[in-house]
Amino acid sequence: MKFGRSWLPAHVLAWLYAALLVVPLYYLLVSAFKTNDQIFGSPFALPTSLSAHNFTEAFSSADLGSAVVNSVLVTALALALTLGLAIPAAFAIARTEGRLGAFVERVFSLGFLVPTFAALFPTFLLAAATGLFHTRAFMVLFLPATAMPLSVVILVQFMRTIPREMEEAARIDGASTFGVLRHVYTPMCMPGIATILLLNFLTFWNEYLYSLVIIGPDPEQRTVQVALPTLKSLTGTDYGILTAGTVLTLVPVWAVYTVLQKRMQQALVSGAVKM
Amino acid sequence: MTLLSSAPGGASVARKTPSAPAAPPRRKQGGVILAVPALVWYLVFMVGPLVAIFVIAALHWPGMLQPVSFAGLQNVRTVLDDPVFMDAVTNTAVQLVVALPLMIVGAYMLGYYVAQQPPGHRVLRYLLFIPGLISTPAKAMVFYAVLSPDGLFNGVLDKVGLGSLADAWLASPSTALACLIVLDVWSGIGFTAVLFAARLGSVPDEIGEAAQLDGAGHWRAMWRIHFPVIRDFVGVVTMLQFLWTLFGSAQNVLLLTQGGPGSSSTTLSFLVYQKAFIAADLGYSQTVGVFLFLVGLAGLLTIRRVFRQNY
Repeated sequence: MKFGRSWLPAHVLAWLYAALLVVPLYYLLVSAFKTNDQIFGSPFALPTSLSAHNFTEAFSSADLGSAVVNSVLVTALALALTLGLAIPAAFAIARTEGRLGAFVERVFSLGFLVPTFAALFPTFLLAAATGLFHTRAFMVLFLPATAMPLSVVILVQFMRTIPREMEEAARIDGASTFGVLRHVYTPMCMPGIATILLLNFLTFWNEYLYSLVIIGPDPEQRTVQVALPTLKSLTGTDYGILTAGTVLTLVPVWAVYTVLQKRMQQALVSGAVKM
Repeated sequence: MTLLSSAPGGASVARKTPSAPAAPPRRKQGGVILAVPALVWYLVFMVGPLVAIFVIAALHWPGMLQPVSFAGLQNVRTVLDDPVFMDAVTNTAVQLVVALPLMIVGAYMLGYYVAQQPPGHRVLRYLLFIPGLISTPAKAMVFYAVLSPDGLFNGVLDKVGLGSLADAWLASPSTALACLIVLDVWSGIGFTAVLFAARLGSVPDEIGEAAQLDGAGHWRAMWRIHFPVIRDFVGVVTMLQFLWTLFGSAQNVLLLTQGGPGSSSTTLSFLVYQKAFIAADLGYSQTVGVFLFLVGLAGLLTIRRVFRQNY
């Protein structure tokens, strides 16, 4: 018997921890349908009605509607730019032999050691100097830079596995360097591209501090993550509305995770391994 | 792992460039230019600001619109004389010393458990990963809803007759820092355990079976047999968590306690934020930034040394 009695403490501890993860989320979910009184009176009871009142209230009082649009916009554009920069760079590094390619790769992998957070203030100055302070555009330009080291390193590893005969065959058919990139390398490292898309989707969507400082609190411009904490102070903390807002920001990530669970875990593991 | 070759000043393990001796060196070098945009981006948005930290640290700059003058090492003296800085150093040290071992040891054991595929391990894996998905503000809001004076935790205490123990957990000097540490550990263990489980899953089964034939219990198998095999991976994950805890704590502090009461929950990275954006003492802020950067570097090198593969 593989899981004998000696495993009992392990079972108990593991599921206890799982409960610690689930209970606050359950609380979050049911509270989103309750009033403050109900939340304090019977925190664990199922809601008596599934009214969307808190959600609409959260939506209007923190302007979550435009915040979601902003988040989607920033995330999507930043992802597109990340791919546009990382794929050609990885292609160049993977194909360049000798010192130069290795050197450029080393430069990118040193980026893992750059704690982006520490440079918050200088980045803020950069935004001010370029006249892009308080705009979403700066975040769209900035986020891909933070994603460069991981994205380039992962893609280089994928591209190194592509046999050079593939390129030679394409060359014989008259393909240009760009054609080789587009028709040989890009399709062949789709798994790598999916990995960096997923990883960066999580990071970009969840990004908080830079968005707070650089985009600022303007309801027209701010992202979901910046809008969410304002529910705490705005409403003298109506917990129903606060939790409803939190649930709303979690939905997109949750949906993606549930559909792509396996793939996303693999992506994060490979992200960590590549460091 | 790749880390061994990607970290700087390492024992430069031979790089894995495809330099098979027989390969014909006929490849065109023409494509290098394609790496230029990414490099420029990276230099402008990451390396540039990083260098700027060191420059600003040497300036006297009492606010965005104030005149700037050169201060040399004067900021260093101001920072070192400031009791708040010393509090922040202590808080950060406590946070790292408590949270990091708890997180790594707990996550390793949990990851090992999941990797053995006990009943329900798929559900468990799904659940454990949840903290990895939730954004910092959302996690902080969950914690706020649980720990605020009329939140879930006090409600539970009241229900079980321990209402007298109820406290304003986030607003009390003796518990504010502890709450932040609990948040780190709570969200860190699950996500890290999934990473470990995935890595342990690729350890050949024979290793575990051989251990069982030798009569090794699971405790021994876990620490004496599997741990050495994935030792370098544990090192990488420890480095990640170290960096996240060291630099990322500013967000949780900002969202939950604002560093208070007093400076009882001010961490180093929050101090950088607070001095830059609230107190507008920019030279001071970036001097702490330099300090933080050096601590990060020293920590990384130490962790790498401790977890160096030694078989």
